[in-house]
Amino acid sequence: MPDSVEKEIVSIISEVSGVAEEEIKTEMNFFDDLEIDSIKAIEITVAIEKKFKISVRDEDVPNITTVKHAVELVNTLLEQKAANAKA
Amino acid sequence: MPRLNANEYDAVIIGAGIGGLVCGCYLAKAGMKVLIAEQHYKPGGYCTSFTRNGFAFDAAAHSFGGYRNGGIVRKVISELGMTDRLRIIKNDPSETVITPDHRLSYWSDMNMTIDEFQKDFAGEKSNIESFFEVMKSGSPQLFIKMRKLTFRDFLDGCFKNERIKAILAIPLFTYSGLPPSLISFCAGATIFSEFLMDGGYYPVGGMQAFPDAFAEKLREYGGELRLSCRVKKIRTHQRRAVGIVSEKGEFIRAEHVISNADARQTVFSLMGRGSVDSDFRKKIRTMIPSRSYFVAYLGLDDALPHALPGTTVSYFPHYDIEKAYIMGQDAKITSETGYIMRMSGDATTLTAIVAAPFRNKAFWQQHKTAYTDALVSHIEKTSVPGLQKHIQFCESATPHTMWRYTGNYRGAAYGWASIPSQFADIELKKPPCIKNLFLAGHWTTQGIGIPGVVYSGFATAQLIQNVRRRKVL
Repeated sequence: MPDSVEKEIVSIISEVSGVAEEEIKTEMNFFDDLEIDSIKAIEITVAIEKKFKISVRDEDVPNITTVKHAVELVNTLLEQKAANAKA
Repeated sequence: MPRLNANEYDAVIIGAGIGGLVCGCYLAKAGMKVLIAEQHYKPGGYCTSFTRNGFAFDAAAHSFGGYRNGGIVRKVISELGMTDRLRIIKNDPSETVITPDHRLSYWSDMNMTIDEFQKDFAGEKSNIESFFEVMKSGSPQLFIKMRKLTFRDFLDGCFKNERIKAILAIPLFTYSGLPPSLISFCAGATIFSEFLMDGGYYPVGGMQAFPDAFAEKLREYGGELRLSCRVKKIRTHQRRAVGIVSEKGEFIRAEHVISNADARQTVFSLMGRGSVDSDFRKKIRTMIPSRSYFVAYLGLDDALPHALPGTTVSYFPHYDIEKAYIMGQDAKITSETGYIMRMSGDATTLTAIVAAPFRNKAFWQQHKTAYTDALVSHIEKTSVPGLQKHIQFCESATPHTMWRYTGNYRGAAYGWASIPSQFADIELKKPPCIKNLFLAGHWTTQGIGIPGVVYSGFATAQLIQNVRRRKVL
């Protein structure tokens, strides 16, 4: 599952940023390397929230600067969602 | 790359609005064979000009923003090698907001703007400074954080004084048609950064010079622009756009189809019923479009005292923008009506704009003259004394006229309403259920006004080039 999360996120980033999937590396910085501006940042966030049916919280936002951070955050939110569903 | 036959293109764009033109120029620059089909006899969409009785008018868009160093419009004009082609002047202040008790301007020097606001609202001094600082430097992180909030949420957090909140919301109403309780924070912040704090630019020769320059550039890059060419259908095959059919029944094959037309029209009339899945149709059917305007075009004699030529003036007789939004749906001019006006830089014409509902042709045929007269006399009473005796020519455009010339749904002035849930949705740039179909322009939810559609045209071109690259790899 985590692998496919990364794949989906990379695909969304590629779609929004115009950078080919193959060229997107997990250590890349959204703003410096991928030239994500405010509009694209929202597009990515909204698309990720919709795709994984999660909600990114305000306190998470400052921590997302690289692709890796985004993947980790989505994984965490998915785990929390699964735990909540069980509880 | 295989050579294409006469009626085969790499990309066909429906509509030569600014979004379509920018997208077309970038694709043609990248070596693609591009055709733009435009139903009107001139390019520009809402960014056109016309001449009547010797008076030159801009039809709707009357200045633009985003032209500072690093601004999106400057970036695109420079990347397309058009800097020498357009002579652009800047009106300073770009914008003045007038109410019975205040007169506040947006200057290119932000400190002058801050000073004016601080003079009028001494109790909010430091809040004013931080407000403009945030508007100037809105970061992607801030936008993500605020993505579900309205501009009113933000104003409530910034200020205590209700009046300053209303005054700051007036230009948002001017440029989105929405009150602060509905416009998304992100759209509002973009209006501040791209229209108000970096606005007032004007191409010498009139707004038409802007699309004309892109059209000329498109041809230089080998692209083609067909005017008076209405598109009837987007042809699809197995959930893939394969070309367009013109009104004359001519099929034009294209690898990519980009609609710079209204999203509703794209989905409901251009696409066949079976070619778009029902979820997406439902989404488009339930999205809320922006509202329309009534525009009066006045030709003036040279004796009218020049009131702020070149500056966009928003006049509001009160501080209840929520009420103004609701009243905008009555086809009535009252003493409470707020309006926007701009006197041309050479002071020969004055254009007045007021929110108005969509009504059919018969309605406006009956009411247009009285509506125009009421608007002119309201302006005379509230901000331009003696206006009527200086008018030598008068013509007006109703929401129905806006629809007729541009095809925008019910004359919608800004594409979809910029409410939080309708901002930056990638499905509007590339509908998920159909391959090789893209949208560009203000129906993509990426932004409004000229900076917004320039951005959208650029972003859609970037996306198409990426899709093509993926296919090659």
